[in-house]
Amino acid sequence: MKVPDSPFPRARIPYGTWGTSYFPAWQSSAMAEVNIGQFAAESMARIMGLRQVPVRAIDYLVAGSTIPWRWKFSNAPLLSAVLGHRVPGCHVEQACATGLLAVVQGAMEVQSGGSGVVGVLTFDRTSDSSVGIFPERRSPARTLALNDVWDNFGFDPGSGFATLATAGNTARKYRLDRREVDELTACRYEQYFAAKQSGFLDRFAVPLEVLNPKGKVQGRIDADTGVKPVTLDTLRGLPELAPCVTAGGQTHPSDGLATLLVATPERARELSRRPEIDIQLMAKAYVRSGPGLMPEAPTLAVAKLLQDTGLALDQIVAVKSHNPFAVNDAVFAKVHGYDWKKMNRTGSSLVWGHPQAPTMTRIVIEALEETVERGGGYALVMGCAAGDIGVAALFKVS
Amino acid sequence: MKQQLRQPTLETLGLGSVLDIFARGALPVTTADLVDRVFGPTGQRGALVISGANGIVGAGKTMQLGSRLEPYGVPVVALDFPGGPSGLAKQYPGLVKTFGAEQAARIMGNVTQLTYDGTRLPPQLAAFQPRFLLEAIPEVLELKRAHYRLFRSSFPEIEIRSVTSGFPSRELGVSITHPAFPHEINKVWEVVEGQPSAITQLYWSLGLVPMMVGDHWSFVLDVLFTGLTQAGIRYHEATNMPFWKIDKFLRRVVGPNPFRAHDVIGAKGSNFLTWSCLEHLGQNYGDLFTPTATMAARKESGQDWYPPAHLRPMVNWTLDAAGEENLRTWILGPLFQMTALMVHEKRAQLAQMNAIGEICAQFTGGLPLLMRQAGEENVIRTVEAYHRLHPAAAKSPWHPEVLEQLGGAEWQQLYVNAEHDGRVGVITLGRESYSHEVNAELNRAIDWLKGQKIDRVILTGDFHLAGQLVGADTTNFYPALEDPAQGIAISRTWSLTARRFHAEFGTSVAFINGKRCLGGMLELLEHCHYVVALDSCDLGMPEVTLPVVPGMEGCHWVFRKTPPALWSKLLELLLEGKSIKAKDGTGWLVDFAGPMTDALKTCWQIAQGETSVTKRPFNERKLEGVTRALPALRAAAPATEVARRAILRTVEASCGATLAEALEIQAQLSAEFMGSPEVRQGRVGEAWSKFQS
Repeated sequence: MKVPDSPFPRARIPYGTWGTSYFPAWQSSAMAEVNIGQFAAESMARIMGLRQVPVRAIDYLVAGSTIPWRWKFSNAPLLSAVLGHRVPGCHVEQACATGLLAVVQGAMEVQSGGSGVVGVLTFDRTSDSSVGIFPERRSPARTLALNDVWDNFGFDPGSGFATLATAGNTARKYRLDRREVDELTACRYEQYFAAKQSGFLDRFAVPLEVLNPKGKVQGRIDADTGVKPVTLDTLRGLPELAPCVTAGGQTHPSDGLATLLVATPERARELSRRPEIDIQLMAKAYVRSGPGLMPEAPTLAVAKLLQDTGLALDQIVAVKSHNPFAVNDAVFAKVHGYDWKKMNRTGSSLVWGHPQAPTMTRIVIEALEETVERGGGYALVMGCAAGDIGVAALFKVS
Repeated sequence: MKQQLRQPTLETLGLGSVLDIFARGALPVTTADLVDRVFGPTGQRGALVISGANGIVGAGKTMQLGSRLEPYGVPVVALDFPGGPSGLAKQYPGLVKTFGAEQAARIMGNVTQLTYDGTRLPPQLAAFQPRFLLEAIPEVLELKRAHYRLFRSSFPEIEIRSVTSGFPSRELGVSITHPAFPHEINKVWEVVEGQPSAITQLYWSLGLVPMMVGDHWSFVLDVLFTGLTQAGIRYHEATNMPFWKIDKFLRRVVGPNPFRAHDVIGAKGSNFLTWSCLEHLGQNYGDLFTPTATMAARKESGQDWYPPAHLRPMVNWTLDAAGEENLRTWILGPLFQMTALMVHEKRAQLAQMNAIGEICAQFTGGLPLLMRQAGEENVIRTVEAYHRLHPAAAKSPWHPEVLEQLGGAEWQQLYVNAEHDGRVGVITLGRESYSHEVNAELNRAIDWLKGQKIDRVILTGDFHLAGQLVGADTTNFYPALEDPAQGIAISRTWSLTARRFHAEFGTSVAFINGKRCLGGMLELLEHCHYVVALDSCDLGMPEVTLPVVPGMEGCHWVFRKTPPALWSKLLELLLEGKSIKAKDGTGWLVDFAGPMTDALKTCWQIAQGETSVTKRPFNERKLEGVTRALPALRAAAPATEVARRAILRTVEASCGATLAEALEIQAQLSAEFMGSPEVRQGRVGEAWSKFQS
């Protein structure tokens, strides 16, 4: 078996120094009302505290978010001040792939020798999302408003397609069978609820209490609210919104945050909850599919990754995808000849929701936890992003 | 032959014992004599000079001392640099509020503000004949030394005291009177002197509370306060918990909010002072004190500890049982180690060390009390657990051997002392509010006197730490808000203690001095056979305003020794919650009220059995018609009206019972009301909610 070389040999992810909020569906929790940047930074301090990581250990912060929030201009420096430890940092953004891009950015920062411990913090609030007012000389009104969630979902200016339409386009291109897509969707729900039942979520998801301006507890974020079991019969009865796409076969907007650390091997061993576990980012691949075919992009990214590394899918222990549409996984399985039941065994964003930037960070965390549980090996994560982008990354747990 | 349970705190000021005061029939010193000694006789009065008078400390102390010395014709010179903000002007509204416009103007009129450049004293100063310099300039050792040289070169005889919070007297070359915040109202001064001087005794005579402490880097208050701050910072560094939330947990565990306090005082200055104290302590005692990187950074930045208003916290922090235990170790471990060090070094008498924490740093219980409550084994275990979390602290001095004395009177009688001359005993209360701990110590003091065969006793404040007696420590009521059985237990236990003064002594005399005696403390003192008071004292039962129902037999005891014609006055006292002057309570609330010397002499004569004051008969049977004496009451808020009905019901039921039955009735009804919505929404309930948050 070929062992690929990592482009980031100095970067490690200390096991267990991570965490996420639960991802409540949009408008369903107290998180819908917070300044998400501040809330995320305070939560990161809390999560790291629970992991026995002093924030003072962090010397650089990579922040990732996609939806503007108040004071976004100040970004990572503000977030680190709220975190309780003023360090330099930067902000990264690549739509729904932000969560993975931030992890890669963290590895690059460590690999460059610039930092010993990089904090990665990704967050977004789709609820009550901000609205931008832009000058637009081509409009009779000369000024247009843009809702940062819905208007962006509804129109990719680069291709002219709505996100939903790209799923339909892809299903048509690959001649997907609606029945199979429904079965796949039902399987994803069963996987999520089985993982939840097993206590898997408790390993990384941290309940958080939201305070109102008077300092009283306004609400407790302790569940991926809005997620309910769905039967295959129900799915089959749903009307199609686009070919092979139903309300059940697509994700929903949610609010949330996710955080992890990237560090040098020495610092990682000091901070890790289990220093004997070594976690390394082995490879990454970014691709772009044809116009309006976003859900096939992750499949293409994985193909590139496998080609680059020389690995085969049967050498991968855990395969996880950001699957805003069930179509994503169906295409992947069809192209790579992979059993979709073996993917996303601990849940996926199709079910637990999509707060955008933190989505793929949670997927990385889930993939690493699953791989550790299975005794180590390679973990593959993939996802798509606006503009028909596909990303994939390979981690090695040993 | 005189015997003492422990040394009276008054003795540490060179003022003798409380027993001496009664036996002599006079206070040990007079203000007029001490003013003459410190500032010279009338006609040749010299001045008090306060340098750094526009700073937080200087301005506060100019007001505090200026208001007290003005009646004695002592001129006050406020000295500072020109061009700075006027700290004195900021004090004026508070002065008017306290003293009224006319007197405030008189006090300020007696303060002369002069400026200087730091190197030459203003020529006009000599005309004031400076006799006493209170130095309140910045905490820079060389600056202070140069300042003293400057004054001594012009005024060789001048007495100098520094307000420094960190430098020892031996480094400064002057004695120290270090005041506690807030400076305009806090009466406590830590004093570093070889022997208590006339200045220290003058402070006492002026109604202030000087306490003698050892000559070390940082005094008791700052070791406790900066030590707590440091402990909180270390906990933050280990857990990431934000400072605002640490404050909330600290309030529950020990009492103070050190980070809020820094911000309120002004983070720029207070961060520097805290760092400075810790830095010097660290140099002398090692890592237990050495400022952390966070402290050093805040010293440089002057940054507040709480987030600004626009970043009010959004995420709550909670702790499970293990987390709370971890927090207690991080906080109590270093505090216990620091306190053991101070006890080892004999930095202060334990009762005063305890009081400094409570009065000046808002500790719910002083550190000696917390250590006593924890017990030797737990204190050692906590410190050792702390050393496992912070191994470097184990290299700092740790003196567990001082805990071997935990069973002795010094540790066991932090609030209550007793002395006797073989015939008359005096029990002194050194805490302004009554608590479970005071109750326990009071019982031990009674037992001690009984063991010494003393049958005549005076119960009084200690003329030092308790300048007034304000009632029950309502934090002790918190368990009773949820569990009536706890309320009954408090009422029953405290009442049984109070009854000992009635039942176990041939003669018991309560002596009330100070500004006021209220609520539970008045209930306690009323159990004595006689009550003698300073005529100017305020006496009252403000429970209805909280609201709670008096639980220490205030609803029936005094009625039993008051003529029915005066019952309406007692009812008015209970139901209106307004105080009266002691002189207006003669015959129903007190047996004698007069000026200090008369009151002291009368009290002593009663205790000796040589008095013409008649003992009022005490009716142990059922009283009839008490509530028929109900006076017309002023309209009050709905909650007060509910409390009035509850109090009236308790009066009716407990007076309508025999003495033997009344205690339980009072306990039942007061505890029952404790669970009411009115109490939960009142001052006790609100404080309880805050305590829990």
